[in-house]
Amino acid sequence: MSLAERLLIGRLKERDPAAFEEIVRRYGDKVFSLIYRMLGNRHEAEDVAQEVFITVFKTVDSFRGEAKFSTWLLRIAANQSKNRIKYLARRPTDGGELDDAAQAGLGAPGVTPGPIAHAQIDAPDKLLEAAEIERLMQTAIAALDEEHRLLVILRDVEEMSYQEIGEITGLPEGTIKSRLHRARMAIKEELDKHTK
Amino acid sequence: MDHAEAQNEFSDFVDGTLAEIKRAEVEQHLAVCIQCRTELAAFKRTLGSLGRLKQTAPPSLLSDVKQQIYKRSHGRFFAPRWKLFGRIPFEWISLGTIIAMLVYYLAVLHGSPGSVHGAP
Repeated sequence: MSLAERLLIGRLKERDPAAFEEIVRRYGDKVFSLIYRMLGNRHEAEDVAQEVFITVFKTVDSFRGEAKFSTWLLRIAANQSKNRIKYLARRPTDGGELDDAAQAGLGAPGVTPGPIAHAQIDAPDKLLEAAEIERLMQTAIAALDEEHRLLVILRDVEEMSYQEIGEITGLPEGTIKSRLHRARMAIKEELDKHTK
Repeated sequence: MDHAEAQNEFSDFVDGTLAEIKRAEVEQHLAVCIQCRTELAAFKRTLGSLGRLKQTAPPSLLSDVKQQIYKRSHGRFFAPRWKLFGRIPFEWISLGTIIAMLVYYLAVLHGSPGSVHGAP
């Protein structure tokens, strides 16, 4: 952990509002992206992302600096996402449905489009195709169990190293690699069904 | 190496974490197997699509979180500031008030006798 980050965490432990704002600005996208891809539902993801940062504000004293702050933060995000998945599974009609990627990424007011939706604004066909691929990908991710889902999101969406993934999940590298391969192949097969 | 064995190594092959000998075996198999080459291309496309799924947080995330903390802490943290005075240090507001009171006091003290136009 760098000196600047250590100082920032120190200020956060003193409940300095500016330090907290800096943390949300710095890690907001990463936390939201992870949660959104875990849940596939923007409304739920917004709610869980808020809860994650509230937890950080409340429990930052328990962060001892043994791991990177981002690792600690993403572990909270991963755990709260898994809890929400379980909660929604018990209440399937209460907001647990997946977003329509086209709606979530393109049309909803105040919503920043996903990177795929950013593609080719001047080419509607390509835009629709990108949105359709995004929808298929999200459906394929949602078909995985939560452990496999988390690994594929951390590695392939968030592009984290195996070491970081190990610190977040507590899994050994060999287990991460074998589960990740199964998850990737399952997503590929799901996509193959629609593209062949 | 058969199809299944080669495809089992795709993740490590693409990630570049495959041991040298194993990598050579996969490459040898790919060189002669069009089916596995097609599967590998599809596998890489899948990873490419996953890499484009990053999302940005809604712009309201920070203000929503602060509002929630304010509510749950019963106003202890992130109290909304009055727009004008929230930006001016308290010491300056105090000093301004004291000066205003002093000016008013002096005006009343020195202004009163002169301003009284008593009856002749």
